[in-house]
Amino acid sequence: MTDLVQNLIDGLGNGSTYALLAVGVSMLFGVMHLVNFAHGELLTIGAYVIYGMRSKNISWWLTIPAAIIAAVVLSMGIEFVAFRRVRAASAFTLLLTSFAIEILSHATWRIGVSSTPRRYQPPDIAFKALSLGPFNIEVWDVVSIVVAVLCFVGTAIMLRTTMFGLSIRAASEDFDAARLMGVKANRVISGAFAFAGLLAGIAGALWLVRRGQADPRMGAEPLLKAVIAAIIGGLGSLQGAVVGGLALGIAEVFFRSWLPSDLQGLTDSFVFVVIAVLFVVRPQGIFNVQTAERV
Amino acid sequence: MILEVDGITTRYGALTALHAVSIQIEQGELVALVGPNGAGKTTLLSSIVGLLHPSGGRVRFDGKDITGLDPAALVVAGLALVPERRRIFKDLSVSDNLRLAGTTVAKAMRKQRMDEMADLFPVLRTKWDLSAGFLSGGQAQQLAVARALMSQPKVLLLDEPCLGLAPTMVDVIFDLLAALRTRGCTVLVVEQQAQRVLSVADRGYVLRTGSIVAAGRGVDLADRSDLFDTYIGGS
Amino acid sequence: MIATASSLRRVAVVSLVGNLGLLALVFGGGLVYASGGSSARDLLITDLLINLVIVVGFHVFIGNTGVLSFGHLGIASVGAYTMALLAVPAARKGVLIPKAPFGIPEIQLTPFVATLIGLGAAIVVSVLLGLVAARTSGLAATMITLAFLFIVRQFAENRKDLTGGAQNLSSVPRLAGHTWAVIGATLAIAVAVFFRSSKTGRLAIATREDELAAGAMGIEVFTPRLLAFIVSGAIVGLGGILRVQSLGSIGPSQFSFEFTILILAMMVVGGMRTVTGAIAGTVFITVGKEITRFLGDGPHFLGFDWPVVDGLPDLFLAGSLLAVLLTRPSGLLGEFDVGGWLLARRRRLPTIAGHAGPIEPAEPSEVEAHAAGELRTTGLCVDFGGFTALEEVSISVEPGRIHGLIGPNGAGKTTFINVLTGLVEPSSGTVHLGDQDLAGPPYRRARQGVSRTFQNLRVFGSLSVRENVAVVDLVAHDHRSHRPRVGVDELLELSGLLALAERSASTLDYGSQRRLEIARAAALRPDFLLLDEPTSGMSQSESLAMVADVRRIAAAIGSGVLVIDHDLGFITNICEHITVLDQGVVLAEGTADEIQRDPRVIEAYLGSRHG
Repeated sequence: MTDLVQNLIDGLGNGSTYALLAVGVSMLFGVMHLVNFAHGELLTIGAYVIYGMRSKNISWWLTIPAAIIAAVVLSMGIEFVAFRRVRAASAFTLLLTSFAIEILSHATWRIGVSSTPRRYQPPDIAFKALSLGPFNIEVWDVVSIVVAVLCFVGTAIMLRTTMFGLSIRAASEDFDAARLMGVKANRVISGAFAFAGLLAGIAGALWLVRRGQADPRMGAEPLLKAVIAAIIGGLGSLQGAVVGGLALGIAEVFFRSWLPSDLQGLTDSFVFVVIAVLFVVRPQGIFNVQTAERV
Repeated sequence: MILEVDGITTRYGALTALHAVSIQIEQGELVALVGPNGAGKTTLLSSIVGLLHPSGGRVRFDGKDITGLDPAALVVAGLALVPERRRIFKDLSVSDNLRLAGTTVAKAMRKQRMDEMADLFPVLRTKWDLSAGFLSGGQAQQLAVARALMSQPKVLLLDEPCLGLAPTMVDVIFDLLAALRTRGCTVLVVEQQAQRVLSVADRGYVLRTGSIVAAGRGVDLADRSDLFDTYIGGS
Repeated sequence: MIATASSLRRVAVVSLVGNLGLLALVFGGGLVYASGGSSARDLLITDLLINLVIVVGFHVFIGNTGVLSFGHLGIASVGAYTMALLAVPAARKGVLIPKAPFGIPEIQLTPFVATLIGLGAAIVVSVLLGLVAARTSGLAATMITLAFLFIVRQFAENRKDLTGGAQNLSSVPRLAGHTWAVIGATLAIAVAVFFRSSKTGRLAIATREDELAAGAMGIEVFTPRLLAFIVSGAIVGLGGILRVQSLGSIGPSQFSFEFTILILAMMVVGGMRTVTGAIAGTVFITVGKEITRFLGDGPHFLGFDWPVVDGLPDLFLAGSLLAVLLTRPSGLLGEFDVGGWLLARRRRLPTIAGHAGPIEPAEPSEVEAHAAGELRTTGLCVDFGGFTALEEVSISVEPGRIHGLIGPNGAGKTTFINVLTGLVEPSSGTVHLGDQDLAGPPYRRARQGVSRTFQNLRVFGSLSVRENVAVVDLVAHDHRSHRPRVGVDELLELSGLLALAERSASTLDYGSQRRLEIARAAALRPDFLLLDEPTSGMSQSESLAMVADVRRIAAAIGSGVLVIDHDLGFITNICEHITVLDQGVVLAEGTADEIQRDPRVIEAYLGSRHG
């Protein structure tokens, strides 16, 4: 029982990072049918900002907002420079474009900084643990979960109450109809990239405070997890992305604790197999509603 | 002249859907655009509001050249389209559909406009917080019109408002056209039920295979015996 | 079909000769470059040739089906590991992986036998992965293959007893020289060229062009895709094995995601749809990376000391891929293939002897002999979430007859055809063709005897006009052989398209695309031809010409026709029997005269004035 609760907390801690990224991925898919594999590079830029500012001993209180702002700016920049030009292209071209940006980012960091990791000292709070009865709870896990929940609630409120949120929802359902209502295409897409960048920046900050290093390819793996989470939830569905992210985080922890030790390293593979089966059985994801093609 | 379409040509790849089409609409008029399927009626409306980019010709609205402008900019200028098949946002509530459509309206005015729409279409008030996906065809069409009226357009374009509606609902839509007219709203309506719409319109245009083949007063066109021939392809 | 098949074989042979010539040119250029330099340059040529094998392998699946796969290097990894485990000397395995299962440490096969078995393993894995990937489509297939790539890598990293883990498995018997790489590239190109012109390849390409239209022409998506996946997996597997044999060792990170991106970049930059594009892209990226690597090493060059820059080749790779995607997504060469180019240089105008005039309609007796019975719906209802599109529609179309279905916009005409062809499931009611139940997915219904055209035009855009028709003729050969065949060129002649036969379909004007859709549907030799608004957007004179076209074609293939149109003039001209649909219900039925006089019909069309 204690194991179960402990695993659940660990899983929610990891899962909330995936979910924050997944919500962004899903939102971008909603407005422009893009699975943005370049989204993980927003974590990378955050890490280098932290490394750069911490090596000059700038306070964490300034460093973290700066990392988040960098993610927002990069996200909007990528849209402006690249995705805006392929907005009407096939899913195939969009997907490959996002991969090309990902590789371009890796190469840029290698050339601009170095291919070897750059380290920084995490703050004390990152690994502080509290003993609560039988549980050993890390403070940062609690912070992560709380911040993520605040973000999800904030996102939900934003989508329901603000004009920008309504435009995102309307544009995801019928882009041209939204334009006919006076919604500006550039503004809603650029705004979606900014918002997704904000969530990615926050996810990055939660993760990077503990990670303690920046390296060029670090964004790829968490993003892959986030894409999987978004797919589990049904691309385009934001609630689905949250559930998918948390489910993935928890599934990983449980696989890790239940699998025999010689299969431990295959945790991700088991998750992938489950997803693949899900895909074949239910290609539209768990939450998404299928839309028919007009003939 | 509030809206002037001057020699618009629109192509889809190799197909020329509109051949130098010209129409004029005066302030306060109800103008009907009729013609068979595939004549280019929807293409013409889409070209006016900037969803399609014409390869030739100009569109002038309220004294300004608006050719090729973004639909969103035209909503601000006062030109709104109710698209074919309504295209309401089914995942949004009725009130959110209206609120979104008021995106170009000043925030202080938005609530007031929404109330006006609820007065104009009482049925919408009864479904106010329901997802628009639950509306019947007639209710959805009323929402679609209300949505377009949110921005207080100078000219309203309606594309097949009666499509797929039961006869009693069709009557409701025609009553609405009459009401819009008495309010002094300028309307261009595309409608399948040619004789009926022409008999209530000030003027009408008949479009066939991408060209205007007849124009005139609505009642005159409605009485033209060759209209049915035009419609069915003639023989 | 005989004529088409032989001309296709000729195209394939010319394309093979052309592409192998190109390969020879590349290889020759490489040798010249290597002759003046270090052994590293020699390795570069081998590397280029082996990458070419892999790129061509990717092209076979992605280029022909339009589905993006990230998993092929996972297949290569499995093949290469199998080969390495069997070929590494037993003595070395005793040291590296003493605890490997299945007695692997004791096995030692010759490199050639190990290669064959490795290839077999790659093919087996391709079949398994292909079964999943070909069943899903688009994004789902891409994600599944991506997941597979990661699973293979994780497996290789973690099963240390079998693979040695992150520590590479060395002492793989090495292949010296370029010979095997050249043989591999030649083989890959030959297989790719012939696959493209094979029946399976052509069906796969049709599904790439338009999955929906392909289904309506009786082309099943799954089998051609699966076969393309397997052939492509085998080639990539061979490439992987050659790569490991040229390096002499294998490790989990060798067939990585980054390597996949490199291969995809080579394929996309050159043009993914042709073998020539694959060759061009491979050379372009290899040369570019070599130059940037040279510059990044900090050489003294052009009288100037360059700084050492790590990661320059990757920057070049990502930059060129991005530049091509943003400015020319079909690749530098687009659809260009050296074979097509060579043929175009020496082609004379196609001449079809003996078909100068219009072809006489088939004898009525012959038509009757092949009649399949009537096409009949009983009580069809279709409901779209509360909106009734069709209500209790019962219509029967007699064999060999031209039957019209008219009605105003939104009456449910297209929905009716969609139900017949299996694109829309009715909420109740049945469809029969003679005494057969017309059921199942669209491709099966097409093979049962109904083929159709589409209102919004769905020709196979980048295929030639002739190939649009010929590929359906292939399907008819297998599934409709009991019906009389009208040749591909005769159908084109009947539709007035013969002079345009070599043009790619997307470049045709609107009317010609409509006629091509009818010719293509007729090539299936259906019992019933379903035409969805064939005159939509046409002028009056074009409509009249269409009347004659439809009559001639229907007579030639001896099929019944159900034609939907809003144009009553066209319908009354062409049809013996007419059904009028309004608001989803049958409003009237009868001959043209009866329909035209029916006041309900006039009202439905024009709307009553005082209603």
